[in-house]
Amino acid sequence: MENENTLQPAENQVAAPEPSFAPRTDLARLTAQTDAIRQEIGKIIVGQTELLELLLTAVLADGHVLLEGVPGVAKTLMAKLLARTLEVPFSRIQFTPDLMPSDVLGTSVFRQNKADFEFRPGPIFASVVLIDEINRAPAKTQSALFEVMEERTVTQDGTAYPMAEPFLVLATQNPIEQEGTYRLPEAQLDRFLFKLHVGYPTLAEEVQILAGHHAGLGSTHLEAVQPILSAADLQALRKQVRQQRVEAHILEYIAKLVGQTRTHKSLYLGASPRASLALLNGAKALAALRGRDFVTPEDVQFLAPSVLRHRIMLTPEREMEGGTPDEVVKQIMQSIEVPR
Amino acid sequence: MGAAPPPGATQVLADLPAPPRSPLPPDRRTPLPRRMADAVRLRELAAQRPFQYLEPDASTDAWDAFWARVWRWLRTIFDTPGGRVSGEYAVYAVALATLVFAVLKLLQVDVTGAFGRAGRRGQLAYDTESEDIHAVDFRTRIAEAEADGNLRLATRLGYLEVLKQLTDRGLIDWQPDKTNHTYLAELTAGPLRDAFRGATRQFEYVWYGELRLNADLYEQARAGQRAVAGLLTGARPVAASTPALSA
Repeated sequence: MENENTLQPAENQVAAPEPSFAPRTDLARLTAQTDAIRQEIGKIIVGQTELLELLLTAVLADGHVLLEGVPGVAKTLMAKLLARTLEVPFSRIQFTPDLMPSDVLGTSVFRQNKADFEFRPGPIFASVVLIDEINRAPAKTQSALFEVMEERTVTQDGTAYPMAEPFLVLATQNPIEQEGTYRLPEAQLDRFLFKLHVGYPTLAEEVQILAGHHAGLGSTHLEAVQPILSAADLQALRKQVRQQRVEAHILEYIAKLVGQTRTHKSLYLGASPRASLALLNGAKALAALRGRDFVTPEDVQFLAPSVLRHRIMLTPEREMEGGTPDEVVKQIMQSIEVPR
Repeated sequence: MGAAPPPGATQVLADLPAPPRSPLPPDRRTPLPRRMADAVRLRELAAQRPFQYLEPDASTDAWDAFWARVWRWLRTIFDTPGGRVSGEYAVYAVALATLVFAVLKLLQVDVTGAFGRAGRRGQLAYDTESEDIHAVDFRTRIAEAEADGNLRLATRLGYLEVLKQLTDRGLIDWQPDKTNHTYLAELTAGPLRDAFRGATRQFEYVWYGELRLNADLYEQARAGQRAVAGLLTGARPVAASTPALSA
């Protein structure tokens, strides 16, 4: 635990900025823009501050998000509003049981006048793609998303079509216990940076929702939400996030957390190294959102449930006992010492 | 409402002798001889090998002979009216204990806490080489780190000492898995919490943020830590002065 970090000779400090207990990179722009997004979404959405913080974290960490919740808790509305604050091409796909992969990715159409095939891009070709009720489509359609979500390309008839930057999938789903839903393949779940639970509002928040709805005579004015970030802005912020400092012990802490999921007795399937990367990238983005240019164990612990809950599988015995992935993640966090 | 008796039936019954009015009295006068086994003969027979049914087989080893003696001893205990009752209760107790154990196991109840203080989570087998903050001689180690010019380590040790002091006074519950902000949340609002927040912020910049410390910044960090300690002891925070660094 003891790293050497001795006082540097005076001549080496001449060019360096005066050190102080303050961020060494300028996070003012990032803070101002993310605060503006919070404010815009707050015009429509009441509460859900933690959910919004996690969504912004995912946007800055360049990761896809799966929102899960019972019908009627504003999952789709939250995703639509977030998309509105980003000044980038947006598309929405409603997943249904009869949806085909070509309905998502696009298809080659024969052009009679030129006697050749032309690729017609599907709705996935956008910067922000809202996939509503993703688990209502069967595994065949889900597997069409594997390549595009991870590699950011769509290969059709031997030709790879790259996606524009940024590319962000916001998917919503109902809990698996709901009628007419399919379980998402593990390989696809692993491609989501976060799985976020959208819960019910508090009593005070629900009263506020009712009052706002009553005052607005039942209409939701999405146009009131203004775009804040352009594609170039977002790229710049992401670059800044990638340069966040991460101390070596934090890296070890992340690896231990994820590694424990592979040996835990209550888990049938542990998290992959992609989960470690997701936790690292997420923690860097969260630290920036919280005004720091370095990651702390606090960031890692805050994000661990959202990163791991959809990447681990409980043993049948644990599942029958009523255990949840979140409980196991909590147990794992309690068994590993915080680097200090 | 049965069938009518056959003709002549009444006549046959009338010919039989009348039964006696009462049974014969018991014969109490005739003495019955009491036959007793010959005790001498019994001893003779008991001494004969064919009648020694409980004798262990000569082919059994010492271990089997020991258990044969134990079982014989148990039989002498339980083969009495009182022993049989005790034996029954013992069986019931074992069955009840097994049932309770099975139910607790199914419900995953931790009963260790019922018998004294429950085990602390901090006693788990951790993977990291954790330091026991209660066993560290902070004064010496901080002085060593300062002498080596390792200000980052000295700041860390100072912060750990603050955590130890807060733990010793029961203000926070030290657990290796807790973050600094968890401890912050455990403190009640007031000057101590504000001072600890400041010390935590400085420690995080130094330790996690890998801030390169100069003498001034180090003094600030140590002053923040001493401020917490001063509030704990009721003394006023003293301005830091480190001779090794001021030189």
